Amino acid sequence: MTIFKEVRKHVVYYASLFAILSFGFFLASIDASDKRLQMAITVMTAFFYVSWGILHHLVNHDLTLKIVVEYILIGSLGITIVLFLLKGGLGI
Amino acid sequence: MHNFFSLFFPHENNNYRAKLLHHNVLLIIISFLFLGSFLFSNIKRNFPSVLGISVDVSSQKLLLLTNKVRGENGLPALTLDNRLSQAASNKADNMFAQNYWAHNSPDGKTPWLFIKNSGYNYVYAGENLARGFNNTEDVLKAWMASPSHRENILSQNYKDIGFTAKIGRLNGEETVLIVEEFGNQTMYQVSRARPEKEEKPTSTFAQGKVFSSNIFSNPLQKTPLINSLFISSNLDRAILIIFISALILDMIIAQKKNVVRAVGHNVDHILFLLFILFLIAVFGRGLTL
Repeated sequence: MTIFKEVRKHVVYYASLFAILSFGFFLASIDASDKRLQMAITVMTAFFYVSWGILHHLVNHDLTLKIVVEYILIGSLGITIVLFLLKGGLGI
Repeated sequence: MHNFFSLFFPHENNNYRAKLLHHNVLLIIISFLFLGSFLFSNIKRNFPSVLGISVDVSSQKLLLLTNKVRGENGLPALTLDNRLSQAASNKADNMFAQNYWAHNSPDGKTPWLFIKNSGYNYVYAGENLARGFNNTEDVLKAWMASPSHRENILSQNYKDIGFTAKIGRLNGEETVLIVEEFGNQTMYQVSRARPEKEEKPTSTFAQGKVFSSNIFSNPLQKTPLINSLFISSNLDRAILIIFISALILDMIIAQKKNVVRAVGHNVDHILFLLFILFLIAVFGRGLTL
């Protein structure tokens, strides 16, 4: 299955994932002066991303423990990248 | 070379999954970033001359650049007024002391009060604020890109100007605050006059912060051995670009080879990491008010 076919087949899922991430970006941009709030929004968005990914695999009946760990690791990677900038770089 | 190839391209030696996306490699990178965050934070706090944010903001340069843009727009140059610089300095101190990022303090002090208290009896006054900028050029560029701040800088109502730039902690974040105060003690250029009591902070204030001992002539300069913001933001970008590239390559090659794998959707991960890339671009930027 090509990437485009995959996206077309699960268009509702990808559209909702895009909406979750866009909403997270919107929330994080509202008060750019509060870095702690931005960190909290990043963690929440990552949590929704992981949950949504797991749910999608569950619905498709192809969920395995390895996949769950993969989503958690990618979500954690995103969080630590932001943490490295805000705590290590800006010093919150 | 073979190991490098293995990091990005799925083949039989890496179980048909780019090595960079294996759980153990991801865990190493996450641990490195997590520990690095706290290590950087600790070194910054205990050894500020080694690791910290580089800052080079000068009131003289701000005056020069402000008058340059005014000149380019056919406006007369503003004169640096020590009372307005003092008002800006007091305002910045008040913002750090009461921990707020606004034109009016939580207890209701307006910018006009700081100007009056400095002994400057204004007919017209304005304020521009900025924070998180590391050099003078970027501050002015950001103010000129914002219509309300630009209006202050290019206003015919003002004759005098004062600045301050200070480093302190705001909302838990170590930041550079730059305050710019405008004023006029005469009715000069009445065509754009506004009654002093009715001026709106959003259109008449530009915030900023000035430095330490001699606020009128000394630039705010801080040059640690390593610029923590430069290192963290560029390292973050590099890691994100490497992972996004690995995910794209892994997805395309696995699809071409018709490899069936029990893995997550690479498209999901790419979208999420792109979201993080956008976030760090926004989070590292300076702000104006």
